[in-house]
Amino acid sequence: MTTPTKNLTAHFELDHLFKIRVFMDHGGYQALKKVLAEGTSAQVLEAVKKANLRGRGGAGFPAGLKWGFVPKSTDKPKYLCVNADEGEPGTFKDRYIINHNPHLLIEGIVICSFAVGIHAAYVYIRGEYEAVARRLEGAIEEATANGFLGKNILGSGFDLELRVHRGAGSYICGEETALLESLEGKRGNPRLKPPFPAFVGLFGCPTVINNIETLANVPSIIDHGPDWFLAQGRPNDGGTRIFGVSGAVNKPGIYELPVGTSLREIIETHGGGIKDGKKLKAVIPGGMSSPILRADEIDLRMDCDSVTAAGSMIGSGAVIVIDDATPILDVLKKVAKFYAHESCGQCTPCRLGTSWMNKIVQRLAAGDGRKTDLDDLLRLASNIKGRTLCPMGDAASMPVLSIIQKFRKELDETVKN
Amino acid sequence: MPKIVIDGKTVEAQDGLTVLKAAAAAGVDIPHFCYHPAFVPEGSCRLCLVEITGSAKLELSCSTVVREGMIVSTQSPGVQEARKSVLEFLLAEHPLDCPICDKAGECKLQDYYRDYGLTESAFSEFKEKREKKVRIGEKLLLDRERCILCTRCVRFLGDIARTEELGVFERGIHTEISTYEGEPVASAYSGNLVDLCPVGAITDLEFRFKTRPWFLTRGESICPLCSRGCNIFVDYQRGMARVPKSAKVLRIRPRVNPDVNGHWICDYGRYGYMIMQRDNRSENVTRKSGLGLRPEWDDVDVFLAGELRRLKTKAGSKSLAVILTPWLTNEELFLVKKIFIEDLGASRIYFAGSPAAQGDGILLTSERAPNNRGALEMGLAARPFALEALAEEPGMLWIFGPDVGESFSTEAFRPAAAAFLLKIVVSSRLGALTELADIVLPSATAAEKSGSFTNTNGRIQKFAAVGRSCGAARPASDILLGIARALHLNDPYYDRLTDVESIFEAMAGSIPFFGKRS
Repeated sequence: MTTPTKNLTAHFELDHLFKIRVFMDHGGYQALKKVLAEGTSAQVLEAVKKANLRGRGGAGFPAGLKWGFVPKSTDKPKYLCVNADEGEPGTFKDRYIINHNPHLLIEGIVICSFAVGIHAAYVYIRGEYEAVARRLEGAIEEATANGFLGKNILGSGFDLELRVHRGAGSYICGEETALLESLEGKRGNPRLKPPFPAFVGLFGCPTVINNIETLANVPSIIDHGPDWFLAQGRPNDGGTRIFGVSGAVNKPGIYELPVGTSLREIIETHGGGIKDGKKLKAVIPGGMSSPILRADEIDLRMDCDSVTAAGSMIGSGAVIVIDDATPILDVLKKVAKFYAHESCGQCTPCRLGTSWMNKIVQRLAAGDGRKTDLDDLLRLASNIKGRTLCPMGDAASMPVLSIIQKFRKELDETVKN
Repeated sequence: MPKIVIDGKTVEAQDGLTVLKAAAAAGVDIPHFCYHPAFVPEGSCRLCLVEITGSAKLELSCSTVVREGMIVSTQSPGVQEARKSVLEFLLAEHPLDCPICDKAGECKLQDYYRDYGLTESAFSEFKEKREKKVRIGEKLLLDRERCILCTRCVRFLGDIARTEELGVFERGIHTEISTYEGEPVASAYSGNLVDLCPVGAITDLEFRFKTRPWFLTRGESICPLCSRGCNIFVDYQRGMARVPKSAKVLRIRPRVNPDVNGHWICDYGRYGYMIMQRDNRSENVTRKSGLGLRPEWDDVDVFLAGELRRLKTKAGSKSLAVILTPWLTNEELFLVKKIFIEDLGASRIYFAGSPAAQGDGILLTSERAPNNRGALEMGLAARPFALEALAEEPGMLWIFGPDVGESFSTEAFRPAAAAFLLKIVVSSRLGALTELADIVLPSATAAEKSGSFTNTNGRIQKFAAVGRSCGAARPASDILLGIARALHLNDPYYDRLTDVESIFEAMAGSIPFFGKRS
């Protein structure tokens, strides 16, 4: 295999990559220039479809397919919402992209908007990322001053206004329809789907919602072509992705690697193996909402479909590594508390179920466990899964199910004591 | 008209219907909390989940639209389990309030648990403690422990009443319904929230702790407090057999009519009518002393017949004045026309309309009486009542209804009426007017009589008596027929008018407006 090209993190070692001069000196905005000078929307759509760019936020939905859903002719304005909520525990990759390479993101945003016919875009960024938002706003100012945003971009006649909107501390606002509600100034409650945002989205208008990293990949597809992008990864899942490794490893951090890289390689080679001489116990491969894997399950290709086939999810590519000194109950405790805290409260199973599960787990962790607790948790989690208004029900239940199922013996011991 | 299969039964569903509505039309009830026919589907309670062949997950019947060939199961094991779990989740944090909760007996959570739940209680953690008597409106209490967050109340005030006075605050298990910044719900439709709430979270202070729903009998009537003619239920406790008190009305509720009031009634009617029904009733025939008659209906009929005959022969028809009210039914107005105008030849028939008021643009109209339109179509509204008219020639004065006093001050009315030798007031309520009457004939309220009103849009709505009249009170139609028979005005004609239906037929036969609806 040839040395993988870094699509997103190339030049990250440069101190001022976020400055437009530095970005352009290293080939930035070439893709956008090419698209506006000689490309058509249809061509861009085709390219992104062919590249098999899958969503990097968690669901892994093909981006080209999603863009194609938006009706070509409509008398309503179309919108692009960029999901920078980065709420999935363990995930921090988007922060790096915005901080170090905001212009790459902007370039991807403009190309996407051009392809779909969008003239107003919002970046919804989590409220906690105040400094990051400022960095992005600075980049937007620079881009506008240089003619890459605003009216008549590069003299092409294409207009795009880009705004940054900060969230206010809610995990559920990372869910695409809750994000729309929040952006509209309402409670961040997810909406019923159908209708899907491509048809009824922001302010009731056709809307594309994509993750930061997804859009940041678009310039590479244009620069080098979809075939090249696809070849970097796997047949159904092209390109590279940023794996955010955290937990009990020697070298936590972000690693941009080809889609399909083995999980073992990510942990042992790039993450530097388990620190302090401990042994690997478990891995959560794609952010806390993805089902947990045991130490013997890490020979796994990290692409959307392979991880799904293995019974988990690639999610946001946030690899959380757990060593054998960590009681699995600690992990369960954090899981139960998080979802109970973040539940929006709209639908019955999640509102009541996450709270009930949390009450049991906290009581267990406080040493007051009962023999029936683990089976009760399994039952409650099963009653939440698949029955909620939004995917957070699954996110709250699948970790509980997988942790108890895969570490039952250890948990039984804990309850007994 | 897509053909779908529901629980093995093939039905033709109307195009565009949701599975829940199509099932209901086919006689299959799917339990639900947050869904309400007057609102856009919400999808948050998750109780209406059903199995649809071809879908890996259970689907919401409240928001899934029917498609040709759809196969739905509302009773499969998966659906039953899902329903049980939703109920179990709700009951986990629900207080065991049934013995003290007003809603017991008509509570959806009770009903659905009985029909679809029946699970053992498995929750043995500490329950959330929340406020139980939050005064969110003048007559409304919110119990946050009972609330299942169906948000019907919030959506009603947002979509229907358009006041947005309630909102959802906090999140997760701490989510709660509240008013904004302490401003109470002041909407003129706030009473509907009590009906809307599927459980006992929002309760009515007027009704609180008064009775149990299974002690109430329900009757259908029309609200008479304005000319909308909202369809209502009158919930009452029957009077005792040997105690001549009327049925005790404890609550008025809306009755669904998509053409008149939809699912709602206003607070003015809801509370106003209950008070009118209950308080200050005129129950007995009374007469000023010196008149030489016993206060019994038979005596009074004979006496009045005698007086009317005397007037007719001696003083002429000009000495008889009648003031009518828009609170009379179509049938009663028709009898007034026949008896007083046609048979007795009275020309001084006046109509005291309802006091000036403002409509609210939703249900409440500016006419605060039920039958202005009926009087208009009867040709009786042409002569509006003015005080000066009374001065013309005092003789016998008939006043129908206590409401004339609302149009004029009693001080102004008293001297004008004083000139009359004999003042007869037919009224359901005691008040200033009944004070100055020589004879008071107690009449039945709208709920206690049968008849019809014509609403502001010309819709004739028939209704039957819900409860027995109060004391010796009689419907005005009976009072009028009693006079007609005592006078032997036209026995063959009046003998045929044995009930309200026959009066309506006679009316329809002679006045085209009432005829074309039959």
